[in-house]
Amino acid sequence: MFETLSQLMNGFAIALAPQNLLFGFIGCLLGTLIGVLPGIGPTSGIAMLLPLTTILEPTAAIIMLAGLYYGAMYGGSTTAILVNIPGEVSSVPTALDGYKLARQGKAGLALSMAAISSFVAGTLSLLGLTFFAPNLAKMALQFGPPEYFALMVLALSVVVNLSGRSLLKGLISGFVGFLIASIGMDPMTGVNRFSFGNLNLMSGIDFISVIIGLFAVTEILSNVEENAVDVYQTKLTGLWPKLSDLIYTLPAMLRSTVIGFFMGLLPGCSPGVTSFVAYDTEKRISKNPEKFGTGEILGVVAPEGANNATTSGGFVPLMAFGIPSGPALAVLLGGLMMYGLQPGPTLFEKHGDFVWAVIASMYVGNVILLVLNLPLVGLWAKLCKVPYPILAPMVLVFSFLGAYSVRFKLFDVGIALVFGLIGWIMKKTDFPASPLILCLILADMFETSLKQSLSMAQGNPLIFLSRPISLVLILIALVLAGFSIYTRYSDPKKAAQMMVESE
Amino acid sequence: MRKKFNLLIGIVLITALLFTLTGCASKDSKAVYPSKPVNMIIAFTAGGSSDVQARVVEKFWKKEFNNQPLVFDYKVGAGGQVGFTEITKANPDGYTIGGINVPHIVFQALSSQATFKTEDFAYIAQVVKDPLLLAVKKDSPINNLNDFIAEAKKKDGKMNVGIVGPFTAHHVGIFQLADELKIKVNPVIFKGAADQNVALLGGHVDAMLGNLNDVMRDLNNFKILALADDQRHPWIKDVPTFKEQNVNFKADIRRGFAAPKNIKPEVLQKLREGFKKICNDPEYLKEMEKIGQPAAYLSGEEFEKYVQEYTVNAKSVIEKYGLK
Repeated sequence: MFETLSQLMNGFAIALAPQNLLFGFIGCLLGTLIGVLPGIGPTSGIAMLLPLTTILEPTAAIIMLAGLYYGAMYGGSTTAILVNIPGEVSSVPTALDGYKLARQGKAGLALSMAAISSFVAGTLSLLGLTFFAPNLAKMALQFGPPEYFALMVLALSVVVNLSGRSLLKGLISGFVGFLIASIGMDPMTGVNRFSFGNLNLMSGIDFISVIIGLFAVTEILSNVEENAVDVYQTKLTGLWPKLSDLIYTLPAMLRSTVIGFFMGLLPGCSPGVTSFVAYDTEKRISKNPEKFGTGEILGVVAPEGANNATTSGGFVPLMAFGIPSGPALAVLLGGLMMYGLQPGPTLFEKHGDFVWAVIASMYVGNVILLVLNLPLVGLWAKLCKVPYPILAPMVLVFSFLGAYSVRFKLFDVGIALVFGLIGWIMKKTDFPASPLILCLILADMFETSLKQSLSMAQGNPLIFLSRPISLVLILIALVLAGFSIYTRYSDPKKAAQMMVESE
Repeated sequence: MRKKFNLLIGIVLITALLFTLTGCASKDSKAVYPSKPVNMIIAFTAGGSSDVQARVVEKFWKKEFNNQPLVFDYKVGAGGQVGFTEITKANPDGYTIGGINVPHIVFQALSSQATFKTEDFAYIAQVVKDPLLLAVKKDSPINNLNDFIAEAKKKDGKMNVGIVGPFTAHHVGIFQLADELKIKVNPVIFKGAADQNVALLGGHVDAMLGNLNDVMRDLNNFKILALADDQRHPWIKDVPTFKEQNVNFKADIRRGFAAPKNIKPEVLQKLREGFKKICNDPEYLKEMEKIGQPAAYLSGEEFEKYVQEYTVNAKSVIEKYGLK
């Protein structure tokens, strides 16, 4: 413990050196920008900056790239709240309540609470990273394919709660998500599914373009339909949170930190998954679950806290084993490799100064991001006053840019357009979009881990029940789903209130 | 008067522009290749092993190629097939080249859903030969190849061996190896080396058929039973080859570079020579060791011949094990 502290202090000394501080700041700033721009996520952001590693010295470069990664998590909420376009997958749940708050004139409150929650969760989970990294990494190894499958089942139980008015429609939406995910190569056999010999379809549908379509394009289509030019009729009120707001949301911040950090330890659990789970948890334990989806501040705080905690959690398996828990960290791993910094237990021994400098820089970075984001709140909130005819085309341009930037394919822009139309039809016919997105995100790991597990057990499905961790996770999933269905049908009054939720 | 003057100026400017343009064009064709930046297609994600290797090449590229930069272009998807196809379909002017992987391109070209043939590439050079190896977890009771065989026989086909797949060197390799050792194992397919390695470290599979490059990250946690190469590798001198243990099993993954097939012979020649110089630069070799990728240079001609031989071999293997 004491040794860790002194190493951390050493790290601070390096991280606070002017050059490293400057690159940390640049990383945070770029991360915020990348987070704000829809579609351009941390993965493409880090990839774009990767060539710089040939010029910079390792500590400064990795500090910058890491800053970009967690900085994007701060920025992602901005467009989700203001214009209903999640800048990152992990901000999809944020949009559900954040956008409603913005339309009620409370954009400032939502934005500042998102930043504060990100800061609290980011910093707390860094403490976890600092003091328990090696032990926690061992825990993550306990998760084999059957455990991942059980975890995916647990995450899927969220669908029931995201379904809004009709459970059936929610489930249909989820199934469509699975179907879309099945386009492309079968991960286990290499057989092409629904590709019709088209090379673009063979590489699958990228979920970023689907999200951009379902949120951004749909939103614009349905706003254009209405005559009203002013989407935000209400005046801006309450730019800053009151103390009572902080006290009200603090428990949710702590809970989502725990959820985000521990799930983040598992390779494959991206911030996109954990923010959904955190949102769902808050909705479940809330005394007024019907308020979620109508502008509940907890619905903003929970996913934003969770996705920041997940980013810190993800550094544990990365540094301890060289295992990236998501595409963005995989690119960062590439950056480490380019410097010949082989992650693994030896990284702490051989390059201790470097590791601790990066960890220390993350504490610093979180402060930088808070200071950077809070003053911007007022500026961003004013964006609501921009007349819609001017705002909408700009949003569209950035959305398509984002869809294109993931794989540099015009095909993905087409996908975003098509899903814009699909989303518009879904809105008209009252199908919720969130189950589709969640299933689309989960499908890949769901399928892979299911097939791997069955292959491990020679086709015997009992493998999921014979391993303690997976058994417990599956039982929790069943209980949660059962409970949601029970309240849905046993309490028609509450069910009626749920109707409000999907507008 | 003013109008006419403007018109005059306009005409003069346009003519000047045309002259400049034609001037540029004629200069272009005479200039030595390359006279502008060269596009590098990478078929895997930024930061992946293929990308990291190409980035090392980039550091030495400018020196050999007229001080022109490389521009990286990631065309990711379908196990590399998207990017490989892009290379074959690119303009063969020498300004688009790309990274290719063997046996990936061979299996994809043989598949029923092929979008290119191995003859569609003009091979520039092979840069990496990453041999396969059989490994278990550090604290596994299996200590050598004989233990492995005994354990496999005891488990009667239920021993789980993690591989990266499908249609990879690992996938084909595990069938060949099991045949050679006269055992039956149960291959469990993972999508990449990262999740394959973590499943082994977590004890979720009994062994794995992996790559030297991947275990180099974390040598302390693995016990390597045998290397699938002709000779021992200097990075893991203590590990015997399969050959030493009288098992005829050799498999590897290779990385190289290629251009579209209709490239001008003199441009291809220039590319091949440049890569030869880069690959023999001691500084380059030092960098390669740093990133943990076993450098192994083959000239374009040799690389092409290897791909042809491998294709013949792969056809019979695919038929034998019904992999299609």
